[in-house]
Amino acid sequence: MTLLWLFLITLAIAAGAFVLARSRVLAQSGQDRRKLHSLPVYYGSNAAMKSAIPALLVLVIWLIAQPFVVNNAVSGMISDSAIADNSSRGLVLAEVRRAADGLDLAVASGALTADQATDPQSDFETVTSAIEESGAILTSQITEPVLRAAQAFRAMTATGKRLMAGVVLLIAALGALWGLRETSPEFRARNVVEQGVRALLIAAASIAILTTLGIVLSLVFNTIEFFRLYPASEFFFGTNWAPSFSGRGGASDLGILPLLWGTFYISIVALIVAVPIGLFAAIYLSEYASPRLRAIAKPMLEVLAGIPTIVYGLFALLTVGPLLVSVFGDEGLGWMQAGTAVMTAGLVMGIMLIPFVSSLSDDIINAVPQSMRDGSYGLGATQSETIRQVVLPAALPGIVGAILLAASRAIGETMIVVLGAGAAARLSLNPFDAMTTVTAKIVSQLTGDSDFASPEALVAFALGMTLFVITLGLNVFALYIVRTYREQYE
Amino acid sequence: MYDATYDTTQETAVTDVKIKAKDVQVYYADNHAIKDVSVEIEDKTVTAFIGPSGCGKSTFLRCINRMNDTIDICRVEGDILIDGDDIYDKRVDPVQLRAKVGMVFQKPNPFPKSIYDNIAYGPRIHGMARNKAELDEIVERALRRGAIWDEVKDRLQAPGTGLSGGQQQRLCIARAVATEPEVLLMDEPCSALDPIATAQVEELIDELRQNYAVVIVTHSMQQAARVSQKTAFFHLGHLVEYDDTSKIFTNPEDSRTESYITGRIG
Ligand SMILES: Nc1ncnc2c1ncn2[C@@H]1O[C@H](COP(=O)(O)OP(=O)(O)OP(=O)(O)O)[C@@H](O)[C@H]1O
Ligand SMILES: [Mg+2]
Repeated sequence: MTLLWLFLITLAIAAGAFVLARSRVLAQSGQDRRKLHSLPVYYGSNAAMKSAIPALLVLVIWLIAQPFVVNNAVSGMISDSAIADNSSRGLVLAEVRRAADGLDLAVASGALTADQATDPQSDFETVTSAIEESGAILTSQITEPVLRAAQAFRAMTATGKRLMAGVVLLIAALGALWGLRETSPEFRARNVVEQGVRALLIAAASIAILTTLGIVLSLVFNTIEFFRLYPASEFFFGTNWAPSFSGRGGASDLGILPLLWGTFYISIVALIVAVPIGLFAAIYLSEYASPRLRAIAKPMLEVLAGIPTIVYGLFALLTVGPLLVSVFGDEGLGWMQAGTAVMTAGLVMGIMLIPFVSSLSDDIINAVPQSMRDGSYGLGATQSETIRQVVLPAALPGIVGAILLAASRAIGETMIVVLGAGAAARLSLNPFDAMTTVTAKIVSQLTGDSDFASPEALVAFALGMTLFVITLGLNVFALYIVRTYREQYE
Repeated sequence: MYDATYDTTQETAVTDVKIKAKDVQVYYADNHAIKDVSVEIEDKTVTAFIGPSGCGKSTFLRCINRMNDTIDICRVEGDILIDGDDIYDKRVDPVQLRAKVGMVFQKPNPFPKSIYDNIAYGPRIHGMARNKAELDEIVERALRRGAIWDEVKDRLQAPGTGLSGGQQQRLCIARAVATEPEVLLMDEPCSALDPIATAQVEELIDELRQNYAVVIVTHSMQQAARVSQKTAFFHLGHLVEYDDTSKIFTNPEDSRTESYITGRIG
């Protein structure tokens, strides 16, 4: 029985419970719904809820837990002597899983009978050759223990699935019975359903929160793991970024400073571009533009925010970079070696941030009460005097908040950097040099064949953690500023 | 009942015409808010605008300093002359005009700046002071005339928004007089104030009359009777009756005026 069927049957049981409970309570009241505590639909929902929710919950937990249980059991079958020197238990277990997949394929293609595949006494040679012919991807020669473990793995997985289907359906049926037995005209089905809805909403909220927590925890554990292998002081204060390429052998320099410097340099260039333009655009749109122009221009500006950053990256690589080289390159002023540079990435990132700054500032400027402006006009101030001396000071905390939020976006940006700024980690003041950022290096440390036990790969988590702390701090600070400002007028 | 508080000084008041409106029409898009209003407002006099809500008092008041220019859909027709000059003439700069015709709003609206900067805002914009000492003097004089000097003299650098509602309104009045306007327009200046602050503001209005033409919109009959020498009654966009305050409140000519002041319409 496939998962989909199991799911559908559970739902069908719940639907049946719904119909039965509903008609049962109507029958009990003699078809007079005024005698019921709740509307009939609530009795049905109560029964359906009790049948479906525990069953589906068990299904989900089972699906998550089964691989762990099976893996553990199989792992016990493999003695330490069966693990080669240059290998590990984890690698052997992966091999077992692949062999099990191979068995499945072989059975499906008819190279093996179902019995041969499962029988632990079957002939080693024929089975392995069948697996190899089936097209399964294996990295090394299958050994006898691996094959037997794979067979056990298949057997246990299959039993587990059968057991799961039985348990889930049983729970669904029991739940339906429970709901049906409760059903009587005095039963407060409406209140129970209300609680069920509430529990559902809480579950959704906690999934979101737990996931975040999980992400942070995985970052934290991996970061701690990294600091076991690499000294924290060298990571935070090292001025050289030079991971060795092999992944093993040869010491790597993993100093974060050049990456942080690149991140901040590019972000600052981006903010220098985005803040004045975005702010002035916001002032124009909220104070000067006619409502009709505003209705057209504001959404258009916001379309910029919907462009995927990879497109901005291409723009940097193909348009802005070459343009800058033609002016500042060897043929021009001679300051720039190649199209990829801090300037290129910074300019393009600035363009990306314009709608971000402008639409936030626009909202904030609009939140300044009209009475402030009236007061200023009433004293004979011009429009620009009013904006400069009354509107902007009143909106300043909110605008600062908007800029900080934009900054945290700039710091987290990756694609534009990868395509526009190059990959060289260096500490330099020249904005026409290629540099790179924390995010871009996280990508390059994790792409390709990486061994997740080496400091060269684990450093990605330390980098990510550092970035996370920085942007979190910025965001909290920005939100704090924005909120204190909001309280002034509302 | 209004005679008791009625101010008898108005008989001897100077009666120059300061503001003269002729056949003024105001439209908000298709809404005809002010219809054929003609009125002559005298200098060194307090003129009260009364009338039921939505009759166009604020709208007409805002015509006098062209604040309606800031509303896109608003259109003003007819002539309004101040000292004989048409303020809707093309050559008139509304910004200059508003420096001459100050305005105090219904809700106190101090800027989110210090008390000092709130008052100094207008004088700074119009370059009224040559140096810091002169500016200090202007600020102090304005605050004294706003009857709030004693309360704030020790905390001029504190934010104006931190004052109480009544103090804020007096601050706004002080801010308006700091630019030395010739006409002061007040749109329900006491609607947010308690009786004590109201009394202070009314006293202040009476003082301001020595130098300015003051126009005040009010919903309080008592207040109109107490502070004004002339009263204009608006109804549905029309100026129904305009006369000495004593006459309006004791012997109105129009039956609508009588119904309103006795509380039958409104
Ligand atoms: N900004 C505006 N846009 C459109 N219509 C407006 C605007 N301001 C006022 N009006 C309309 O003009 C008419 C007169 O309004 P106005 O504010 O002058 O009344 P008011 O006499 O001051 O009333 P209140 O005593 O309630 O303040 C009303 O019908 C109102 O709906
Ligand atoms: Mg009004």
